[in-house]
Amino acid sequence: MNGMNVPFIGEVPSDIVVSWIVTILLGAALFWWLTTRRKWPLVWDYMTTTDNRKIGTMYILLSMVFFIRGGIDAMFIRTQLAIPENDFWVFQSQKYNEVFTTHGTVMIFFVSMPLLIGLMNIAVPLQLGANDLAFPYLNAISFWLFVAGGVIFNMAFFFNAAPNAGWTSYAPLATDTFTTGPNNNYYIFGLQVSGLGTIFTAINMIVTIFRLRAPGMKMTRMPLFSWATLITSFLIMIAFPVLTIALLLLMFDRIYGTSFFLGEYGDPVYWQHLFWIFGHPEVYILILPAFGIFSDVISTFSRKRVYGYTSMVVAIALIGLLGFMVWAHHMFTVGLGALANSIFAITTMLIAVPTGIKVFNWLFTMRKGVVRITTPMLFSLGFIPTFVIGGVTGVMLAVAAADYQYHDSYFVVAHFHYTMIGGTILGAFAGIYYWYPKMTGKMLDEKLGKWHFWLFIIGFHLTFMPQHFAGLNGMPRRVYTYTWEDGVFLLNFVSTIGAFLMGASMLFVAWNLYKTHRLTDPVGADPWDGRTLEWTVGSPAPEHPFQPVPQINSIDAYWYSKVERKRLPESEEARPSPIAIQTVAPVLLAGVLIVMSVGFIYGWVWMQIIGGIAALGFFIYRVFNDERKAVYRKEEES
Amino acid sequence: MNKRVLSFFVIAFLTGCQMRVLNPKSDTADTLTNLIYLSFGIMMLVLIVVFVLFVYFLRKFRERGKAKFNIPPDEKENKWLEITWTIVPVLLLAILAVPTVKATYDLTSKVSGSAGGSKGDAMIVEVVGQQYNWKFTYENGKESYDELVLPVDQEVQFRLTSNDVIHSFWIPNLSGKIDVLPGEMTKLSFEPREEGTYQGKCAEFCGAEHTLMRFETKVMSQQSFENWVQEE
Ligand code: HEM
Ligand SMILES: [Cu+2]
Ligand SMILES: [Cu+2]
Repeated sequence: MNGMNVPFIGEVPSDIVVSWIVTILLGAALFWWLTTRRKWPLVWDYMTTTDNRKIGTMYILLSMVFFIRGGIDAMFIRTQLAIPENDFWVFQSQKYNEVFTTHGTVMIFFVSMPLLIGLMNIAVPLQLGANDLAFPYLNAISFWLFVAGGVIFNMAFFFNAAPNAGWTSYAPLATDTFTTGPNNNYYIFGLQVSGLGTIFTAINMIVTIFRLRAPGMKMTRMPLFSWATLITSFLIMIAFPVLTIALLLLMFDRIYGTSFFLGEYGDPVYWQHLFWIFGHPEVYILILPAFGIFSDVISTFSRKRVYGYTSMVVAIALIGLLGFMVWAHHMFTVGLGALANSIFAITTMLIAVPTGIKVFNWLFTMRKGVVRITTPMLFSLGFIPTFVIGGVTGVMLAVAAADYQYHDSYFVVAHFHYTMIGGTILGAFAGIYYWYPKMTGKMLDEKLGKWHFWLFIIGFHLTFMPQHFAGLNGMPRRVYTYTWEDGVFLLNFVSTIGAFLMGASMLFVAWNLYKTHRLTDPVGADPWDGRTLEWTVGSPAPEHPFQPVPQINSIDAYWYSKVERKRLPESEEARPSPIAIQTVAPVLLAGVLIVMSVGFIYGWVWMQIIGGIAALGFFIYRVFNDERKAVYRKEEES
Repeated sequence: MNKRVLSFFVIAFLTGCQMRVLNPKSDTADTLTNLIYLSFGIMMLVLIVVFVLFVYFLRKFRERGKAKFNIPPDEKENKWLEITWTIVPVLLLAILAVPTVKATYDLTSKVSGSAGGSKGDAMIVEVVGQQYNWKFTYENGKESYDELVLPVDQEVQFRLTSNDVIHSFWIPNLSGKIDVLPGEMTKLSFEPREEGTYQGKCAEFCGAEHTLMRFETKVMSQQSFENWVQEE
């Protein structure tokens, strides 16, 4: 069998040895660069900050690092699958399983989520006229928990213990009966720690949106990205705790010998329910903020108010609500019975209606507008047809009986990449190009941005369109090879070419970053001729930018003030101002949680105890060191 | 040219036009294929409408010349338009939902129907999936591994279970998938209509060699089947 031929260097597969060497070299280069350029004070400033712009920027930066990691995994997958009966490097059998598991998990939890959360951090307070998120300290904690989760999850590979049960980690395969070793413990703790950070972010966003809107900015005047953030945050508050519980139960099965998902009293199908009650809302958590970005971008570059504002908001809310009623469409083949399958088929089809409403509203926003094709707009325009293709295959998958054919085949792989790349990733790129001035004070190069877009979108369709047909020709997902007789060679070959085009497109991003920061001058507050409040403050957005706070009298207030050639009126009303501090506590907490998690992953009790006590210590420390107390006391006295 | 490559192109040409899922060889697979075509047709309709509007609006309203600096007037939403793109999709989905529910009931009662008692003349095959092979047991106790032999034009009912993790039983030409769970029995039935050899696969990721967990399905004449099943 193939598994026996893994080329070992000593005890460890060669790909891991290579990654050790590369990491050490890159680390040394980075260290050298930071030192000679005297960047350490800047690094320290970012590490200890609670400012929403800086935290958002760090979210995006780190997501891009993970995007490279997940992308390299994708290239390995596609190279192994390029031709039939291939034996590329070490990527067969369990090694292949590790690669698609990390690819999927990293892309969802450590790329898509933090990209969106980063953009929320940067744009939402600015769109609302708020000076920061409601709880800046908590925000720093959220970010460093994400870092900790990302470190834990990515560490696995370096210690030759990458998770290998798929991003869905189905029981009983993921229980210790069938996958021994620390591998899937890494999955559990990586997601557990970063998931906690995500929940805190949701709380933060909800409170910010309810409490810190500028005077006159009624809910019904909020930009759609802020609306999407609000509804997404509610979805997170409901869905993520379910994941927390599922992971906890799986952890007990793996570490303490319980049998929730196996054996006489347990049932593997419980895991599927729990996972998808989290998992389906999760895909809407990933798409709704992207919808928000597209709405704002399309409206800005059509020089027109978004069409059907009210129905847009209602549609987001409906999608969010229906999103909780469809989870079993991932389980049509489990044998839940005809009634359950029919109900979940119909609820799933229903989601297409509000989604369709949104698509038509975007189209009609462009109608009778003046459509300017900038890079963010280009990504938004690419999104519409791409996402609609992913949407219609979604409806096809909802046909429960037909899903008996599609399920777990490459048809599904094609479908979810059309929605997740076509929606979330294109949305994140649109958002990054659009708000880049607010992050850094500079504008990314438009020409290189367009190169990036065209290569990416062409590569994307080349990669994933053929996969529909591979699925229909009987190719299951999560297989590391196929035969000549399977008749899927050409489809896979084209797919691999497309994947490398997508990879190449990212080189233009690197070049663009270099060029922008080396060769261009800072831009002003409003480089895109924008409509919403973020374009009234400087680029990059300063800390506590709204002093005094503007008075808002309509939707897109800034735009109408420009049209009428007036300044936005200032408001006398005060808003609670979040308190910024410099603190290393969140970083240290992240370190402590990494230590504790590693203790659990390898079953080292002493390490669990040390980590646990230290983590508890942080709560006590925080109780006695709340920076807000002094401020409130002063306020009371005056 | 390499013989293998040549034979590949022949096969690619043949199967390229008739993908297995769309080339049904049983009653069950037939129903599924029809559903797939129906949903595909309706969805193409939607796709075309969106694409046409997209291209048209983009070409017509792209900024050019002096119009660049125009500020288009705000427009009030048109109620009729909004109603149209809410109601029409609902109708289209209703058209799709009816056959969906019908097929789901028809096929699923075959999948997990009440103890299988009703189908008096169905042949029963017990299936056990385990990492990474399939065991088939026929009515007379004969067993085969990774090779499933069936008589043509005879309804067959499978009773499936797993010895370890979850697997999924899939013969694209003959029927959709049914999961194979440890400690539980699931069912599936269909009636193959054409003799031939069809690929069978495990569709649920089940561990290191999930890829290799395949089997071959041979559908043969009733007579040949009788001979085969009686063979020691
Ligand atoms: C260069 C771009 C990408 C390529 C070429 C690519 C390719 C693939 C392929 C071929 C698979 C199937 C592996 C298998 O079933 O054996 C896969 C799985 C997956 N991909 Fe991607 N992908 C890309 C980007 C992304 C992105 C951006 C996301 C998420 C936003 C994503 C999410 C996933 C997920 C969730 C899975 C499922 C993993 C699993 O089965 O556990 N991918 N990808
Ligand atoms: Cu779902
Ligand atoms: Cu399998």
